[in-house]
Amino acid sequence: MTETLIETKNLTVNYGLLSALEGVNFKVKKREIVGIIGSNGAGKTTLLETIAGQLKPKKGEIKFLDEEINKLSILNRRKLGIFLVPQNENIFPRMTVLKNLEVSSLYNSKSETEELIDYVFELFPILKERKKQIAHTLSGGQQKMLAIGIGLVTNTRVLLIDEPSIGLAPQLVTKVLETLKKINKDMNKTIVLSEQNIKVLKVIDRIYGLEAGKIRFSEDIKNLSENEVKELYLGKID
Amino acid sequence: MKNLYKTVGTIIFIFLIGLIFLFIGGYYKWLVGYIFLWIIQGYTAWFLYIKCNQPFVGYSVTMGIGAYGTIILSVVYNWPIIIAIILSVFLSMIVAILFFLSTSRAKGFYVTMVSFLMAILFPKIIDATREISGGRSGLYFKGFDISENVFFILILLITILILVFYSWFMKTKIGQILTLISENDNLTKAIGINTFRYKILAYGIAGFISAIGGALYVNYIGFVSSIDLNVFTTVYIAFMPIVGGSKVFYGPLLGVLFIKLTPDIVRPLERYMDIFLGISFLSIMLFLPNGLGPTFEKLFKKAKYTIVRK
Amino acid sequence: MVDGIITGFIIGGVLSLPVMGIAVVYGITGVTNFSLGIIGVFGAFITWILLDYNWVFAVFMGILFCFVIGYILQNILLNRVSEKGGDKNLYFIITVSLGLVFTGLIKVIFPRTNIGLSLPSMGLFTIGGITASGLKFFAFFFAVSVLILLRILEENTLLGKKWVATSQNLKLAKYIGINTKRSFCIASGIGYALAGIGAILWASIYNINLMSGWDLTFMGYIIAVVGGIGNIWGGLLAALLMGMVMSFSGYFLGGSWQSVILYAIVIIVLIVSPRGILGYEKSI
Repeated sequence: MTETLIETKNLTVNYGLLSALEGVNFKVKKREIVGIIGSNGAGKTTLLETIAGQLKPKKGEIKFLDEEINKLSILNRRKLGIFLVPQNENIFPRMTVLKNLEVSSLYNSKSETEELIDYVFELFPILKERKKQIAHTLSGGQQKMLAIGIGLVTNTRVLLIDEPSIGLAPQLVTKVLETLKKINKDMNKTIVLSEQNIKVLKVIDRIYGLEAGKIRFSEDIKNLSENEVKELYLGKID
Repeated sequence: MKNLYKTVGTIIFIFLIGLIFLFIGGYYKWLVGYIFLWIIQGYTAWFLYIKCNQPFVGYSVTMGIGAYGTIILSVVYNWPIIIAIILSVFLSMIVAILFFLSTSRAKGFYVTMVSFLMAILFPKIIDATREISGGRSGLYFKGFDISENVFFILILLITILILVFYSWFMKTKIGQILTLISENDNLTKAIGINTFRYKILAYGIAGFISAIGGALYVNYIGFVSSIDLNVFTTVYIAFMPIVGGSKVFYGPLLGVLFIKLTPDIVRPLERYMDIFLGISFLSIMLFLPNGLGPTFEKLFKKAKYTIVRK
Repeated sequence: MVDGIITGFIIGGVLSLPVMGIAVVYGITGVTNFSLGIIGVFGAFITWILLDYNWVFAVFMGILFCFVIGYILQNILLNRVSEKGGDKNLYFIITVSLGLVFTGLIKVIFPRTNIGLSLPSMGLFTIGGITASGLKFFAFFFAVSVLILLRILEENTLLGKKWVATSQNLKLAKYIGINTKRSFCIASGIGYALAGIGAILWASIYNINLMSGWDLTFMGYIIAVVGGIGNIWGGLLAALLMGMVMSFSGYFLGGSWQSVILYAIVIIVLIVSPRGILGYEKSI
């Protein structure tokens, strides 16, 4: 049984004539938390959206458990077990918190849905408090939590999350990232995050650095000494 | 530069065709005159709907006001035809501007919809006032007391004048501002231009010229009824620049020819005309979004390339 | 006076069906579909042709036709446009062209273009001291039940919930695994079916001709704009209101002026409240 859950080989994606991703080789193993770090416009969202099926690559392969999925629709990739939590517009604005979670759990049985929603409420008690509140009236941070909750409730094998901490207050950033680590441990769920915030180093197993559409480096966090981590922190990543 | 050639070329082409058929005479001369009248409408749609990007599709109404205004004022109230025309044209201009004012707060698409509804409504009003307007039976009109050929030349000259006007106007400062507005209304407002006034001007011009076309129409054909100015008419007019290719100056001309000549060429299949045109519009929108003109240009270039290679 | 109110309710009830068709289609797929009325009328023509066999069968086939056409058109044509971004002007041009095609088809296929449907009379009913043919009451109550049914569909069925999700966030709906293409097709089918029912009712109370499809679309959109496009409740309310207006203006001014008054009302509403009376679109 392969260890690799998702793999891209020589992935190239264009926006019109502009190259958004070029020759990207990227790998995610089962039960890992992988971080993709890069500044604005580096191509993080593009990479995640291409894996999820929203964008079509010009060249290259995407593989899920060693099977090529380039031709699969978003719907079929979801059925395989890939879900992307978008950076924004990531909730159903005029539904209540509870409804948001219920509808997203459409592939699960009633009991599974209940369990998953309970888990989400355990992780994010504030969502439980506001379960009857209309989603778009939640604060930015709460909406982020709901978006991640939606991702959880789909119970997919791999959760792709586009900049989970963007726009959040600093304490919230830490909380959200640590919650993701907890989810990874509790549910053995593979998680791929894209981030600009260096705090992400604390929770991930491996890191990819993306700049101007190309992978600049990839490191195993545990293989890095503390100094190297600091270097990454200050130097390589802009 | 290329564009200038296309523009001038189109205008010269139309002028020459007019002269040629003036001498050929007969039915074909009449047909060419008829086409000119639709060229006026088609280019007005090109001006307002495409170039100025204003979501208005009620051209049958502006044309209708020109036509009915002329005929009613001169026949029913016995005013001199010229005065009737001038008044109708100004009425149409006012109606267009009023329409803009009343829908200016609404979103772009609502405006399209309401102008379309106005076009559906217009024949109903004609039918409702049938004692004056003739309703579906229509009204007959003798028109100007001049020879057929002189009138034909008049139409030719007015059409050429209108085309020259539209092409010149877009290059003036006002025209350039309208182009800015068409590309990004909010940004244009932000840099301090009163877009409102310019849009009023655009609607006014469109109403004015379309009504001139309508007045000429009723003089040329000698008859108008509510059936001539129904929803299909406005749809055909609005589609003329789109079908022919809105990015080239000869596009609307191609559109006019396609929409108005086809029924004539395939007389026996007249029954199927709506179906044919509807399907053509769909196909062009889906497969040739740039219109017929640029598609022919591409094919022409490919042909040239293959010939050169050989 | 009372007669006027009754007529108003009936007209409103019948018209509310195409309006709800518009609301369903726009609310869920975002398509402003100008062919709803014409294809609905085509369905009524189909019912007319089959009336000799069995009226239930005829009505059923008419409605089924509309649903199927709606499903297919959304599938092969309109979904393509949605994928490319769903430009409203493009929808307008495409659906108007469809309307042209179907108007032409009516001309070509059916022997007459001016028909009335003579559905079996439901006898005369007297409700609250007012007597009218059963069919007319039926029209009104049917419209209200459709509205309630749609609401129930939305809240309680999986399909309804999928629709609501799709209309609120298309991208996210796809990510969570909703087959948005199919949801659109079903919504489109239902929208056309509603328009078809409206056309059939209209044809049985009054009669219809080639241009009726455009008229129904016209009235449908006028009412929809007033009620706020996509808003089902607003649609029904506006339909009843407009029904009243039509009934009374018809009485005082004569039939042809009804549409003029309606149009004037739309303009006034748009000036005062560009988003419709209830102030918002897409309530789904």
